[in-house]
Amino acid sequence: MVELLAQTGLNALYAGSYMSLVAVGLVLIFGVMGVINFAHGELFMLGAYAVVALYADLQMPFILAVALGLIFVGLVGIGMERVMFRPLRDNPLGGLVASIGFLMILQAVAVMGFGVRMEHVPPATQEIIVFSEKVRLPLARLYVIVAAVVFLTALWAFLTKTRFGWALRASAQDPEAAALQGISINQTSRIAMFIGAALAGVAGALTAPLVSVNPHMGHSVIVTAFIVIIVGGIGSLEGAVVAAFAYSVVHTVVTTFWDGVIADIVGLSLMLVVLIVKPTGLFGTADRA
Amino acid sequence: MPRLAKQGSVVLAFVVLLIALPHGLSFSQQEILVFLTINVLLVTSYRLLTLTGEWSLAHVVIMGVGAYSSALYSKELGIYVPVSMLLGACTAALIAMFLSYPLFRMKGFYFLIGSFAAGEIIRLLWKRFRDPFGGPKGLKKIDPMPDFDIGIWQFDFFEPVSYYYFALVVVGLSLWLMWRIERSPIGLTFHAVHWQDKLAQSVGVDVRAYRTLAFVLASGFSGLSGALLAHYIGTINPNSFDVEMMVFVLTWAIVGGTETFYGPILGCIVLTIFNEVVLRELGFEQMRPFIYGLLMICSVLFLPKGLESVVQKLLLRRANGDKQKEEKADPKESEA
Amino acid sequence: MSGPFLEIDKLTRRFGGLTAVDELSFTVEHGAIHGLIGPNGAGKTTTFNMVSGFYKPTSGDVRLHGESISGLAMHEVARRGLVRTFQHSTLFAELSVLHNVMVGTHMNFRPNIFSAIVGWDHEDRSGAKARAREALDFFGLLELENERAGELSHGHQRALGMAVAMAAHPDVILLDEPFTGMNPEETKRMMELMSKLRDSGVTILLVEHDMHAIMGLCDQITVMSFGKFLAEGNPQEIRTNPTVIEAYLGGTHHAA
Repeated sequence: MVELLAQTGLNALYAGSYMSLVAVGLVLIFGVMGVINFAHGELFMLGAYAVVALYADLQMPFILAVALGLIFVGLVGIGMERVMFRPLRDNPLGGLVASIGFLMILQAVAVMGFGVRMEHVPPATQEIIVFSEKVRLPLARLYVIVAAVVFLTALWAFLTKTRFGWALRASAQDPEAAALQGISINQTSRIAMFIGAALAGVAGALTAPLVSVNPHMGHSVIVTAFIVIIVGGIGSLEGAVVAAFAYSVVHTVVTTFWDGVIADIVGLSLMLVVLIVKPTGLFGTADRA
Repeated sequence: MPRLAKQGSVVLAFVVLLIALPHGLSFSQQEILVFLTINVLLVTSYRLLTLTGEWSLAHVVIMGVGAYSSALYSKELGIYVPVSMLLGACTAALIAMFLSYPLFRMKGFYFLIGSFAAGEIIRLLWKRFRDPFGGPKGLKKIDPMPDFDIGIWQFDFFEPVSYYYFALVVVGLSLWLMWRIERSPIGLTFHAVHWQDKLAQSVGVDVRAYRTLAFVLASGFSGLSGALLAHYIGTINPNSFDVEMMVFVLTWAIVGGTETFYGPILGCIVLTIFNEVVLRELGFEQMRPFIYGLLMICSVLFLPKGLESVVQKLLLRRANGDKQKEEKADPKESEA
Repeated sequence: MSGPFLEIDKLTRRFGGLTAVDELSFTVEHGAIHGLIGPNGAGKTTTFNMVSGFYKPTSGDVRLHGESISGLAMHEVARRGLVRTFQHSTLFAELSVLHNVMVGTHMNFRPNIFSAIVGWDHEDRSGAKARAREALDFFGLLELENERAGELSHGHQRALGMAVAMAAHPDVILLDEPFTGMNPEETKRMMELMSKLRDSGVTILLVEHDMHAIMGLCDQITVMSFGKFLAEGNPQEIRTNPTVIEAYLGGTHHAA
């Protein structure tokens, strides 16, 4: 039993790691730009396919493929900001709808580029850390956990210690005051979009060898991301991280003892409960919704 | 009154066109026509909901509730199909009633996400429980509509044409009902709730009750469209009512516009024809999500008021043109 | 029944650490025009919102005809005979003037869905229309009935707001700064309309900054300061009350 729990804990740690990257990206975009990016799951998918193309097909080193994937998806994010979100700044519903449209475009592009079948990317390393007979952690998963810690810490440092980071936080808190101070909305939006998209992309890239990559993989990612940010509190970065791990624990436990579909139902029900009882979530700040 | 006679003859011509239409089409095109008719009901019912300002993402799932329940009532309980369709619609409305308790504590974006979650939960329940929903494979061999004969036409429901006529009547009646509701004081109250709910409340309108009413009514009609679908295709599964379908409905509503009654219908018809004629003929069917996505983005960016605004402008220009014609004494003068 | 008509009893509202309204008590007499004034930040709007059901009081009570209405939802308060207007032009801009007022008739001509569809509600609809026209006529807006509400002049929009409220056949109307943004001509007209409204049997409670209007219109005035009751009396008494003058820092007509 202890072993079962330990293994479940390790699984949750891994899942929570990449979900926290995705969720934090989504919160960042929402916080700075006020728009709900429905295409966020597809950005994750894009990162995964970048690794498929660069690492599996072109045989580049894994780390390089991940880095290039991160940059690529970040640039796609900047493109989204320029073409869709900036013109629709005064129309958040329109921005949401446009992001749904973009989601469909990305899925179609993936289908046209790679086909509908699932891709299997060989893991960067086959090694497994064995704690005991029943408790194991593949090294590839440990990489994901470590990467998440690194990126989240880097983000925290960026937001608290750099000028750009301060600008982002100021924009998120009070866009008008920030603009009056000379902070360019366009620039902060661009930065937020790059980082937000890149986080989703790198999460996809890192987990590509560990999951089945297919054009529709973004769907479950975005659903989970929404659950996480609602539970964590829609404006809160810390909330997103905490909720990502908490949700992963719950989901993994329920999957272990029942099954994945039940776990999804539980997750969605949890989100509904939060929406009914305390819509601002666990760490909720004044929301822009 | 010549104007009324003119309008009347336009309507008559339109009805004749609708009746004659399938006879000029191929079999597969007739099938598309059936789906189009059902989708018109679906999208118009969605518009009814948006009258109070709420955009739900559960609408297509609720269509599925109507489909599943009608299928199950006829299959498991042996209920006569037309009756089971009505019961399916009522079930959908009831589920909506039930959902309104948690959902209408939320507004705006939260309602959107909450409705999405509620819809997904229902869909996952269908997926998970093979008994009675058939699990991921869904329900098969759903009872078809029983054939009957009304003298001038023999309804053989193996033929899409017969089902089209049947659907036409059901959808026509439903549209008429929704139109009447919108034009009534209830419709006025919906508008009030949408645009200034505080003002409406201050004169005694129970805003939450009206939102619920719109939701329940819209869901009932949506469920009816689901029932129509189920007994036509004969098989349904959870993927028939997934996010992709919901996105299509959203696209029709947004591209067409929701200010007028016909806006979403226009969007649905235009996009369906576009899909069939352009995409299928040119072999770009696979690119359909891509094109739809592009259309959504372009629509929101460049034609935010939808196709209906184009129609409105044309009608306005025509009305002004007529006025100018009446005012000009000299018939030889050309229009501007 | 000659009990108190509208009683505000030790009404209190706290927002976190801030006490916006502190144990405010006063009574509005039936058929009166009662003013609620005070310098900015005195808590008038908060009081107003509590009486109309927009906020729930932290403690204290509001009683209408002896029945407690505090804590009820806005539409429930309206159904008991208390209706409010809004400060900013809160109207259905896209609808015609007539349709705007018809929303106000909602309570008394409640639509029934079945008859609405079939068309059996003809009686109700014409009744509602007639009542709406009555309200429009009262405020001199009848010729504008088919205009879009959003295109009216400011003064007309304010009058329309009151017509909507009046169409609901209330016992009490709460007017939220009705004279804001009005020139002297419009102010005079609005004052006449309000007297006319009171004479038709409606009790009025208004929050306002325009001293000229308040003094000219009100039978009774309650003054607030920093959330508390300061003074009460008729215009003459209030005008000469030293604590009131002091609260307004030199007796300027308009608080900042």
